[in-house]
Amino acid sequence: MTFLLRRLAFYLAAFIAAATVNFFLPRLMPGDPIQIMFASAGSELSLENLNALKLTFGFIDAPIGEQYLRYLQSVFTGDLGRSIKYFPLPVTELLGRSLVWTLGLVGIATLLSFALGTFLGVMAAWRRGTIFDSIVSLTAIFSSSVPAVVVSLIMLFVFGYQLGWFPNGYAADPLLDPGFNWTYISSVIHHGTLPMLTMVIVLTGGFAVTMRNNMINLLGEDYIVMGRAKGLADNRVMLWYAARNALLPTVSSLAIALGTVLGGSLVTEVVFNYPGLGNTLYQAIIARDYPVIQGQLLIMTAAMLIANFAVDLSYVLLDPRLKKA
Amino acid sequence: MTLFRQLLGNKKAMVGLTILLLIILVAIFAPFLTEYSPVKRVGRPHQAPSWEHWLGTTRLGHDVFARLVYGARVSLAVGFGAGLAITIIGTVLGIIAGYKGGVIDEVINFFTNMVLVVPNLPLLLVLAAFIGQASPLVIAVILGLTSWAWGVRVTRSETLSIRQRDYVKSAEMLGEPSWRIMAFEIFPNLISIVGINFIGSVIFAVITEATLEFLGLGDPNTVSWGIMLYNAQNASALSVGAWWDLLAPCFALAVLGLGLALINFAIDEIANPRLRTGGMLNRWTRMVRIGEGKL
Repeated sequence: MTFLLRRLAFYLAAFIAAATVNFFLPRLMPGDPIQIMFASAGSELSLENLNALKLTFGFIDAPIGEQYLRYLQSVFTGDLGRSIKYFPLPVTELLGRSLVWTLGLVGIATLLSFALGTFLGVMAAWRRGTIFDSIVSLTAIFSSSVPAVVVSLIMLFVFGYQLGWFPNGYAADPLLDPGFNWTYISSVIHHGTLPMLTMVIVLTGGFAVTMRNNMINLLGEDYIVMGRAKGLADNRVMLWYAARNALLPTVSSLAIALGTVLGGSLVTEVVFNYPGLGNTLYQAIIARDYPVIQGQLLIMTAAMLIANFAVDLSYVLLDPRLKKA
Repeated sequence: MTLFRQLLGNKKAMVGLTILLLIILVAIFAPFLTEYSPVKRVGRPHQAPSWEHWLGTTRLGHDVFARLVYGARVSLAVGFGAGLAITIIGTVLGIIAGYKGGVIDEVINFFTNMVLVVPNLPLLLVLAAFIGQASPLVIAVILGLTSWAWGVRVTRSETLSIRQRDYVKSAEMLGEPSWRIMAFEIFPNLISIVGINFIGSVIFAVITEATLEFLGLGDPNTVSWGIMLYNAQNASALSVGAWWDLLAPCFALAVLGLGLALINFAIDEIANPRLRTGGMLNRWTRMVRIGEGKL
């Protein structure tokens, strides 16, 4: 138990650190922080609304320590302020709107890449040193060394513009009414395929390399030799003796990858004009809508910390020694 | 220096080093490769590639090839500058934490873990957004200051095991000062980890710079591959059919990525002969992907 409590305290500290960055950044910039934060609002905000917004971000007539506590209080009560661009809309609601698209696109893409990457990694490790292994490893490493924006743009150019197989933007045909019918759903699938393929290309390599290396480390273990000596079929040793154990560390990287899902896939969503969280963040950056950008940082941090905590929990369940530590 | 000699004998490393060297030469000799200035209007907007303009022109009538070769300077400078900063901070803190132990270790380790769990990309975005139009130098500094944590973690754990070796113990007994032990007994044994950390960080910095600039957080007057992408995207290059405007920087970034990936792959092969590309590569693929918060 103490292990989990210590981790929990650590995550709390990490979250407060992220909030602290949010608090101090505008104050560290040259010039008037209030001016910087709310400049893009122009004169559209009434004085009353502006004051409410200032209060959320701790811009009160008090010493800096009190301002800081005031800001932490807003954060911990779930008040992330309001978007300046779409004024009375709270940040949480603005982000909530695009959440479903991101969960669908990025969530499915992450799971697909995990499955594909793990499979390729197992096969490559099992046949290490062969041509198959070289091709998988090199492709995996190359695809992790090219910016996602490059992959996205090339996919859009080839399949969107040159071949015209897929639409060039949006999550569904804007002329259709959203609804639970086949026309709409097929349009969503058609629009989502290209961004999803792109993300799978970008993400699979990392999972494949991780799995391959875990697996190769395990192949030298005695129980693998034992399995073979018993005359078990190759597939059985590969999948039930080696892959199953090599999967454990990979699960933690999957959890963390899922933790970053809430960030959306910034670049892919921007290139394909997909209305997810990443695109919302991008629009906020362009409009210098600081409350939204800062809110997104906090939400993504929280998601990451929860994912990390889930990993800790799974370790405690899988490794009983930690329960006593 | 044995690492370097071994690299020269590795086929993948040689291909990677050749690619990198070519890009460096192009960057250095940019003025000799093109007669055009990268920032002057030298043709009509969006001209297709021709004998006169090898890679066509941008919407503003700039020569794409000229911008590409001059832009290599910025991408390389940010990549290697930030990569060096990340590696130095990570290696120094990692060795100190691993060797000194005790309170120093706890403090460094605490901050490292904290930096590791706060997602890097939104943090970079918030920083860049407040700075406004970040110049390449500013981007390199931000990257250096926020991305060192993986290096510390890897270097620290390796230092912990080296600290127990006999030659370190005997140096301690001879009364050598601890900075000497860290610099001359421990550091030389970490050289392949430092190498992989460095190349991985360069890749990370190149990717992140291009991404931040593509998203409009860079200084639009810079001549760099990221700004080329940004300008081409803003000019709707694909929908008006000016594919050369967008694909040229894409191709350049892909080739640089390939060269660096090959070098990293080779260092890892040399460092872990038993595994052939095991272990350490985890670190940087994960850093690149999770570090950028899945761009």
